[in-house]
Amino acid sequence: MRNLIGKSVAIGAIAALALTATACGSGRDGDSGGSKGDTKGFASDSLIGVALPSKTSENWVLAGDLFTNGLKEAGFKSDVQYAGASTTVADQQAQITAMVTKGAKVIVIGATDAAQLSTQVAAAHQAGVKVIAYDRLITNTPDLDYYVAFDNFKVGQLQGQALLDGMKAKKPNGPYNVELFSGSPDDNNAGVFFDGAMSVLKPEIDKGNVVVTSKQTDVKQTAIQGWKAEGAQARMDQLLTSTYGSKELDGVLSPNDTLARAIITSIKGAGKPVPVVTGQDSEVESVKSIMAGEQYMTINKDTRNLVKQTIAMVKALQAGNTPEVNDTKSYNNGSKVVDTYLLPPVAVTKANAAEAYANDPKLAPLTK
Amino acid sequence: MSRLKDLQKNLFGGTTSNARQFGMIFTLVAIVVLFQILTDGLTLRSDNLIALFNQNSYILILAIGMLMVIVAGHIDLSVGSIAAFTGILVAKSMAEWSLPWPVAILFGLVIGAIIGAWQGFWVAYIGVPAFIVTLAGMLLFRGGNQFIGNANTIPVPEGFRLIGSGFLPEVGPSTGYNNLTLLLGLASCVAVVWREFQARKTRREMNADPAPMWISLLRLAVMVGVIVFASLRFASGRVGTSFPVSGIILVVLVLAYSFYTRNTAGGRHIYAVGGNSRAAELSGVKLKRVNFFVMMNMAVLASLAGMIFVARSAASGPQDGNGWELDAIAAVFIGGAAVAGGIGTISGSIVGGLVMAVLNNGLQLLGVGTDRVQIIKGLVLLLAVALDVYNKSQGRFSVIGSITRSFRRDTPTPPTSSSDAEREPARTAVSG
Repeated sequence: MRNLIGKSVAIGAIAALALTATACGSGRDGDSGGSKGDTKGFASDSLIGVALPSKTSENWVLAGDLFTNGLKEAGFKSDVQYAGASTTVADQQAQITAMVTKGAKVIVIGATDAAQLSTQVAAAHQAGVKVIAYDRLITNTPDLDYYVAFDNFKVGQLQGQALLDGMKAKKPNGPYNVELFSGSPDDNNAGVFFDGAMSVLKPEIDKGNVVVTSKQTDVKQTAIQGWKAEGAQARMDQLLTSTYGSKELDGVLSPNDTLARAIITSIKGAGKPVPVVTGQDSEVESVKSIMAGEQYMTINKDTRNLVKQTIAMVKALQAGNTPEVNDTKSYNNGSKVVDTYLLPPVAVTKANAAEAYANDPKLAPLTK
Repeated sequence: MSRLKDLQKNLFGGTTSNARQFGMIFTLVAIVVLFQILTDGLTLRSDNLIALFNQNSYILILAIGMLMVIVAGHIDLSVGSIAAFTGILVAKSMAEWSLPWPVAILFGLVIGAIIGAWQGFWVAYIGVPAFIVTLAGMLLFRGGNQFIGNANTIPVPEGFRLIGSGFLPEVGPSTGYNNLTLLLGLASCVAVVWREFQARKTRREMNADPAPMWISLLRLAVMVGVIVFASLRFASGRVGTSFPVSGIILVVLVLAYSFYTRNTAGGRHIYAVGGNSRAAELSGVKLKRVNFFVMMNMAVLASLAGMIFVARSAASGPQDGNGWELDAIAAVFIGGAAVAGGIGTISGSIVGGLVMAVLNNGLQLLGVGTDRVQIIKGLVLLLAVALDVYNKSQGRFSVIGSITRSFRRDTPTPPTSSSDAEREPARTAVSG
């Protein structure tokens, strides 16, 4: 027994010592990162992290595939992650932290919630990782390095203009009755689309040429939480019942294709003629709808170009260069003005669809 | 008494240890080692350990409250919504009424208490099943969150973020480590040693057999070893990081609630109610008061968890709290609680939560997508509980028994004593 006591104590002590030794071996990393890595670049086979929102639209799935393939072609190791369907924000936070731990050199983030990632972005910055916000600007953090997106204000302007053009083509003289929809309030872009569209529509509304019959013009009233189709359909149902019993609806400003189709479903369900409805994203179903003469327009923001541009930025960082940006003034995220590369969006109606999608293997056949 | 029996009885959690709990600790260690190898040493690196606590402390805090709710024979589906509701109110109170952040935290806890009193009232005094009350609460407070927040994301000030993403300050001489974390580690070593000898003394005073000295020493060596290892790891992260503040809040809560559920009359009443509520009532347990307390307590902890998450995210958003109830419930069941109530421990639930957390983290480090992570977590939950159910129906099977059977040949014991040793955990399980 005595022997055993001795043995156990010895084993315990050795275990404790061994653990201590491994721990001591790690040492403490200094607060290096940040400034040090600025001009040097990094190894050409480094890990690049890509954190995307949950797979709720075709665009994100496509973007994920394009990133996986594009980064591989460029010689990088990639880690492309989607947030889960229910715990999106927490998933994305954990994924970004894991990418930093794994030693990613650049992290590209398509944020699920623009304002809830500042802690993780700060941790990445302190570890010397460059952070690029993809498509959605991350707000309230001074640690974001670059932003790459389509010009979303321009998207709104194109939608507003198309709405006016479309209604004029159907009925030469106003006043036109319209309703306004906007995207999810936690998506930073939703407000930008709406403001862009209103910059075109507001003068016409003030002149009385365009009438928002329900008088719901505030972004809080028009917003659809989570970009959910059922939300838009429900709101349109209610507008039709409350406002359009006898009046005619000429146009609907819809921020994207999913909502546009839901709005059209609602209007058809009520037995009314389909008005001019705008959209965005060039989703397959909406392109079909445009060719069938229901939805009036959509916006082509070719995800291929956006991913290509992002990978070009990653390559520039790898070589130790400053990535090309074309807007250093307009995107203030609440803490700083973020250097931005904006790609131009294209408005697509039935008239120019064939031309606009000529290079898109999935959409081109639909326009023939 | 065989030495192995001593070992299994005394090494983890004193005499109330049970096979299930040991099995979970064993699983946790196995998963950590597995991922440590698979990720090339990333899992136990300082920054990852710190991130692990930062990411999961709010779920583990929920698990503490959920354990008590489940032990009492109820369930709470509303924790995520309560967390989100409190989060938005606290964020707004700071943004619009400019409440100083410590006051805002108190305000949040008060909101939790009021919500808890509301739910507790329906469960305890009206007798509506907790499942229904909290299902209603889930809708009610999720709606409340959206109503108040207009589904906006509202940032919170720097000071408030301390409770979710803060670290201990760097003080004292430059040692290459975070000194306060080292001090915390030292304090816990001293506390562990003191507690061990105190327990031995108590047992001697009560004329009970204290565990053999070698067991005590081995246990101390393992625990001190783990504490020393952990505190060195936590102290050696990047400058400016330490054992996270949210982790400290968690540890304090775990200690306090473990003491409450194990060593006080109020705590034991929860187990009595969950085991057999009629019998408990007839023996003088104030049934309504216990039910009221567990529901109210859960809501307060949910509020705290919500605030920690908001602090960590630097903003309160409309997605907060989605699915948290399920994570907390999974942690509790993996940690060995019985679905019917009456059985389960705080430490078990924390270990259960950590198993899920390490699994999640390790898979993420390996780059496994969330879709597959969810599938794996679902299977782990199912298997853990299935094992528990199977063990009960078999009556004799014990995880520890099966692990140690091969070592037992060299310590011949009479068959009666051996089967005793195997049945022991099953019997002591109830006392948690």
